[in-house]
Amino acid sequence: MVPNNSHRRILVVDDHTELAENLAEILDGEGYLAAVAESAEAALARVPVDEFHALITDFRLPGKSGPELITALHQLGYGFPSLVVSAFTDPQTIAQAHEAGANAVLPKPVDIKALLAALQQVLETGADAALIKQRPAHS
Amino acid sequence: MDEAQVPPQLSFFERLKDYVRFNDNDSALLLDFFPVVEPHVTPIVDDFYEAILTHEDARKAITGGADQVNRLKNTLKDWLRELMKGPHDESYFDKRARIGRMHVRIALPQEYMFTAINRIRVRLLSLVYENLIGDPPRSHRTATALEKILDLELAIMLETYRESLLSANRAAERLATIGQFATGIGHELRNPLGVVESSVFLLRQRLGLQDGAGDPKVVKHIDRIASEVRRANKTITDLLELARNRPPSRQSTLATTVVELGVSAANLPETIKVAQDIDPGLHVSVDAGQMAQVFSNLFINASQAMGGQGTITVSAKAVGNKTEFRVHDEGPGVALDVAHRIFEPLFTTKAKGTGIGLSLCRRILEAHEGTIGLAPRTSHETSGATFVVLV
Repeated sequence: MVPNNSHRRILVVDDHTELAENLAEILDGEGYLAAVAESAEAALARVPVDEFHALITDFRLPGKSGPELITALHQLGYGFPSLVVSAFTDPQTIAQAHEAGANAVLPKPVDIKALLAALQQVLETGADAALIKQRPAHS
Repeated sequence: MDEAQVPPQLSFFERLKDYVRFNDNDSALLLDFFPVVEPHVTPIVDDFYEAILTHEDARKAITGGADQVNRLKNTLKDWLRELMKGPHDESYFDKRARIGRMHVRIALPQEYMFTAINRIRVRLLSLVYENLIGDPPRSHRTATALEKILDLELAIMLETYRESLLSANRAAERLATIGQFATGIGHELRNPLGVVESSVFLLRQRLGLQDGAGDPKVVKHIDRIASEVRRANKTITDLLELARNRPPSRQSTLATTVVELGVSAANLPETIKVAQDIDPGLHVSVDAGQMAQVFSNLFINASQAMGGQGTITVSAKAVGNKTEFRVHDEGPGVALDVAHRIFEPLFTTKAKGTGIGLSLCRRILEAHEGTIGLAPRTSHETSGATFVVLV
């Protein structure tokens, strides 16, 4: 069964292109429309062209980082939710991603089922609700 | 003093002797006085260990019971006889340095080493004053010779403590370097593994392999790829954990729970039994995840030492405000010549070992302000190794 995800456009940002493409293919299989960008700069060039419903970005990117991309998108007025995947999952990294406005942080290697669940959750509950829920208790 | 006048080929011991002006006359005076000392050797040594054994902190260095004390007493008697008889040459120095290293190995704090030598000094000097009372010049010269040789002994002992500190520093530097490498390589490998993993996910979908469907041979190989990727990911996670040197987040946990977490993380073969002799109410304040890593490493080593068959015995008891765990196996034990190196990073005796396990254990215990060591074998143990964890 294909979930009713059609018309939901997801932007996947990872400089490891093969990984980004695989994720996009998996998302397409789930009924989303996924697009791939290999850097934050490429992502910023892409967002005015298509309307997106969510962002999945690597933490470490050449040029602007994942959290910096999220901050830049918010400053430009884009309000869609974002998920950060990171090979580093120490408390500082996670806090940094949340401070930038990430709705969820997932460790690399990405558990695909967990990623799909997190994506569905932020899309359904909306960015703000997810933001509060995913933030550490002290902030 | 003009340093250029000192011949560069002088050994460490020669330089020391030169510095305290210890010469052949001093050696001769000590040898002359030896017959007076000989009948007092046993009482002096007994008194010496009496002082250590009645002192709560100093006693901790003695973990092997009465057998170890008897061995140490005999060593000290020989030490005392050689101190008086000499010859005070290079082989004398080598032997003294070995004894010093033994004190470092059993973690006798240097302050006790110092005060213990002083106890011997007081006894020997009073023998000089009592026995040479009719010959003040000789009494004075013999006492001075004794003071000099005992100062030399202290200097040699301190040198061995310094050696051990330098070696610990080198180990720390090595670990830091490994850490940087491991972090870089670990993260670099995560991405390709992520691609393999997600490609396997897509292949399962494309080939319709979900829920037991599809060609069993294809399924078998897809499963193999997935499980080997998981294994590679676990190795990376272990390495990154070593590199991160995370401070422990302590919580009061049952000692039995910590050991059981270690057992389950070790994934031991069914032919290995873990017998626990632990008070079910005993609590420890530790980072349970990190301590489970310590025990799982000890259990994996024990299991490998026993060839995958036998019983590992874990006991625990409160010692002061800490808890002492003992992990005993029935393997061949640790060879004496490598025992002092097994906690060094990258040191391994196993054909397929990485030399990371025990060094990670030591690092975790240091972060807990605890210790880990190999217990000396007691006489009723014919085989096996016992690791002592104090936390």
